[in-house]
Amino acid sequence: MDLRQTLTAEFDQRRRRNARYSLRAFARDLGTDHATLSQLLRGRRVLSPRLVRQFGRRLHLSDADIADACEQHHADAILRLARLASFRPNSRWIATRTGLPLDAVNAALARLLHQRQLVMSSADRWTITVISHA
Amino acid sequence: MPNPVVRWQILSSEPDQAAGFYQKLFAWKLSTANALGYRELLSGSAAGIDGGVWPAPPGVKGFVQLFVEVPDLDDCIAKATGLGAQIIIPKSVLPDGDAMAVLLDPTGISFAVCQLKPKT
Repeated sequence: MDLRQTLTAEFDQRRRRNARYSLRAFARDLGTDHATLSQLLRGRRVLSPRLVRQFGRRLHLSDADIADACEQHHADAILRLARLASFRPNSRWIATRTGLPLDAVNAALARLLHQRQLVMSSADRWTITVISHA
Repeated sequence: MPNPVVRWQILSSEPDQAAGFYQKLFAWKLSTANALGYRELLSGSAAGIDGGVWPAPPGVKGFVQLFVEVPDLDDCIAKATGLGAQIIIPKSVLPDGDAMAVLLDPTGISFAVCQLKPKT
């Protein structure tokens, strides 16, 4: 689950139900401020793990969906890192750089491989295969 | 080439707990000295095969996968898909040089095929 897409879809749905429903009101309902939400929806700001969980609860997502959104968040963090020239194909290095637990890194790596977003093409080369807005 | 089963893998939502349980129960050696931090469980016996523990995807109940060594991974994947298997994780070369892919057989059971790096 891509929480940014979920947020956008939810906001659109609320706007359809009530044309006067504003981004400011949506931010209030999510427990954040208007500026932060605006930046998140436009991809100018990266969701933090805390916000992923907070928004998931406020949107009444299931525990499984929140866990899935968290893993997607971790996967996005790896993709951002993989774009760097200094990237190392090493879970321990990724965990250190992202601050994620090693298991979260490995679970997210499996997800990226499954989604064909990352390819482990050789022992020392992992490449991104799609343009992501992570 | 007999295509032997060379490894088992537990996918667990509690990988630390699972690895610790089997380590204690069977007095296996637990090693994470690899680039992925993969929990390898080694029996130290010439009989049987070793295995490891990997974190399960969110919301997925734990399960076990078997790894079958094949001489040509690409050929095996093509043959498997021709027989109705689906690819879950395409061919991937791990940091230690071994290559693997995870497939779903036509009955819905996942398994892995691997081509081990030649021993030097």
